[in-house]
Amino acid sequence: MPPLGEGCSPRAARTMDTFILFLVAGTTYAVRSREVQHMEMLEQVTRVPNAAPFVDGVVFSRGQVVPAVNLRARFGFERTPYDLRTRLIVVRDDDRSVGLVADEGREFIKLAADAIQPPQDALAGLSGRYVEGIASIGDRLVLVLNLKQLLSFSEPLVAA
Amino acid sequence: MSEGFFDGFLDDYFAECEEHLTGARRALLALESSIGDAAAERPVIDELFRYFHSLKGISAMVELRPAEELAHHLEDYLRALRQREVAVTPVGIEVLEQGIQRLGAVIGAHRSKQTPPSTDDLAARIASLAALPGGLAAPAQSASAAASSGERFWTCTFVPTRELMERGIGVDVIRKKLAEVGRIVDAAPRVAPDGTIAFAFTVATTTDDREALDELMADGIVLELAGGAATDGGLLPVAQPLEGTHFGSVAPSHVVRVDMTRLDELIQSVGDLVISRARLVDSLSRIERHVPSAEWRAIQENTLAIDRQLRMLREKIMRVRLVPIGEIFRRMPFVVRDLARESGRKVTLELRGQSTEIDKYLIERMMDPVVHLVRNAVSHGIEPAEERIAKGKPPDGTITLSASTVGEVFTIEVMDDGHGIDAAAVIAQARAVGLPIPLDPSDPQALLALICAPGFSTTADADRVSGRGVGMAVVKSTVEELSGTIRLESTPGVGTRFFIDLPLTLAITDALIGRVGGESFAVPQGAVREVIEIASADVRALEQNEVVPYRGASLPIVRLGKLLGIAEEPVERFHAFVIGTGSAAVGLAVHRVVGHREIVVRAITDPLVKVAGISGATDLGDGRVVLILDPVLIVRLVCDRAARSVGDASTWGRMLA
Amino acid sequence: MHKVLIVDDSPTLRKMVRASLAGVAADLLEAATGLEAIEQLALSPIQLIVLDLNMPDMHGIDVMKFVRGHRNYKDVPIIVLTTRNDEASRRTAAEAGATTYLTKPFLPQTLATAARSLLEHV
Repeated sequence: MPPLGEGCSPRAARTMDTFILFLVAGTTYAVRSREVQHMEMLEQVTRVPNAAPFVDGVVFSRGQVVPAVNLRARFGFERTPYDLRTRLIVVRDDDRSVGLVADEGREFIKLAADAIQPPQDALAGLSGRYVEGIASIGDRLVLVLNLKQLLSFSEPLVAA
Repeated sequence: MSEGFFDGFLDDYFAECEEHLTGARRALLALESSIGDAAAERPVIDELFRYFHSLKGISAMVELRPAEELAHHLEDYLRALRQREVAVTPVGIEVLEQGIQRLGAVIGAHRSKQTPPSTDDLAARIASLAALPGGLAAPAQSASAAASSGERFWTCTFVPTRELMERGIGVDVIRKKLAEVGRIVDAAPRVAPDGTIAFAFTVATTTDDREALDELMADGIVLELAGGAATDGGLLPVAQPLEGTHFGSVAPSHVVRVDMTRLDELIQSVGDLVISRARLVDSLSRIERHVPSAEWRAIQENTLAIDRQLRMLREKIMRVRLVPIGEIFRRMPFVVRDLARESGRKVTLELRGQSTEIDKYLIERMMDPVVHLVRNAVSHGIEPAEERIAKGKPPDGTITLSASTVGEVFTIEVMDDGHGIDAAAVIAQARAVGLPIPLDPSDPQALLALICAPGFSTTADADRVSGRGVGMAVVKSTVEELSGTIRLESTPGVGTRFFIDLPLTLAITDALIGRVGGESFAVPQGAVREVIEIASADVRALEQNEVVPYRGASLPIVRLGKLLGIAEEPVERFHAFVIGTGSAAVGLAVHRVVGHREIVVRAITDPLVKVAGISGATDLGDGRVVLILDPVLIVRLVCDRAARSVGDASTWGRMLA
Repeated sequence: MHKVLIVDDSPTLRKMVRASLAGVAADLLEAATGLEAIEQLALSPIQLIVLDLNMPDMHGIDVMKFVRGHRNYKDVPIIVLTTRNDEASRRTAAEAGATTYLTKPFLPQTLATAARSLLEHV
């Protein structure tokens, strides 16, 4: 972005956004790239006693202490051990930096706002609360995540 | 026109615009806080004028008309302000801000080759502001000439020569040096009868330090203490700075403005150095037996020297970030005045220890909590005048805000002479909202814990209860995030005192490292009385606790491994940190205490992992997070549950449930 | 060799003027402030001054007044750079002793031609 002054001419009406895709238990999820600080490989995580059950622990990321939220656990799947493909996706929500543990990182794509459909209530196993919408990319269904809901810890999202 | 010729300078153009725009934004902020103060406004107005004039000039050269014209309008407005045809108003500031933004946008659009936003509407607004009637009566004093108390005037004459120039000493260098020594009131060229040119500076300084001034003499400057009399040969009469050579925006100062992020980076680097040093010492210790003792001693000396130097470096950088707490305190009289008026109370505010210095980061974080405490004192602490008189108190309430440093701890105190905390009301409220009732209802710390518990009160409730409002939970968590503590003292009918203790050196602390089941934990040295070794055979069971003999009495021990659910092999001997003293002492048992080192404390801020008993995290050199424990809290929580005999306090989760 | 002094507090402008005068047979000196401009004047003979009016420490007009008031320098030609719509400054500049003026934006060759002709008559 140019450092001088505010943005330039207004964008075209069809807003495109860039998303980062990743896999958790076979399903593809997406997060807006502007919400992502960076992605890195994950080696180990330090367990924090009495933290939320879906939090694997904390890691250092770029000098900051960042919680590692195990998405498998968060979405109600069984945890699996980390391997070479496991990725920590560090996202930013207001002034929080939080790491999401995903099975595998995938590509970046651009999606238009109107390509994302709101989730239907009937979708099995999902809570409308953390999925903002669903997009079709080729023959893949991609679930676009609602970060704020995902990162709140007041209730479990899915019955254990 | 000059198609393409000056295009090669576009990078320079954009870079220079950036500088001017940044300067203008900063100046605008300064102007905003000086509205009404003609003396303070003047140099800032001059500065802004020059920024817009410069922007106009270079924009004209690259033929960016919209920018040139907008800058021109802004310049006109500033000229009108400068000549006091119009006064500075909040609306004017807002328009200037928009002007700067739009100017930046136009330039930015040129840079990214997009259509620039229109500027007509804004230009019209600015023009109308510049034309408004309502100038100011009294002409502005030349602010810079007035002497502040303790300042003396010196006149300095500098004669430039080619030889000095070759040594790199020119009038600009001299000006900068003088600016370091004092405040340049005036600077002008003078001609001697034989045609030689010299430069005369008038400098106001509080330095009596003749040495600093004498240093300049060597460089061809003649320095004279102004006697007030004008002499010919070119010395400037002190009383009247020359018209047109007003120094204005090149206002010198002793202060260098440093970006907070730069300081943070510096501190981060120091932190990294600490870690590297730790790693080095680790590696060295592993090769010790291969090194001849003479060499080893030399290595030891060097590492000790590095140690010492790092410590000093750390301290010096911390000093740079220190700022007087007066910065927060300055806001308070306004807070008090507004609130007092709203609530119909009469309140006097006393401030103490304003020059006490505190880390800049701490000031920024503590601003809101302190304001909150002061507000609470006014609206919930101080009784109405009639009540006070009936109690024999003066009708006006007094709130005292003081700051002091003792050793490494900085304490802020908010004291009021109001009606004190009503313990009964607090307990009743706690019961009503379902919070656990403390064992000792008269313990102020227990009351404080209730008041600060989330959910304790709503704003509506706060009026009924003589407790405090919703924000106390945030005050507490902010203080704790900064590794600090809050304390409460209160006497019903007499008043209340809140103490906030903050560690001065936030980032680095001494810690003992303990290992349990293969994991390492850091325990701040200050919390540990001593480290003892225990033979498993000496451990006795006493009801649900374990104790060991210690100094002729019994020491209860709490096993960290058990608390954390870490499987441990049975061992013959193990270590424990002794926390607390006398009858309150408790041993926090680990497998082994492996060392003592300085650690860099990194905060754990995310609510997902903020857990009572963990006060932060550190890196011991391998990139892994090592948790820093708060042993005092851990021990207190365990003993609390044990005392209440509520189930098995032996796992952390249940302990804190 | 002739010496030309470029006085402007904008580094961009100084670069541009320097580039414009690249084809002129002269040493190009620079000053960013009025005081430095006078200093340069004191240290070596200058045959032409290209001057911007708005300087941080000393206004260009005052620099000109000083130069015109000094017996050694009163005849040094001065080209003043002004901006559009700045009629007032142009008048004051003329009164203060400017030899000629150029309005921004100017063609580099315009400045070069003016400089060359003023240097010829030195």
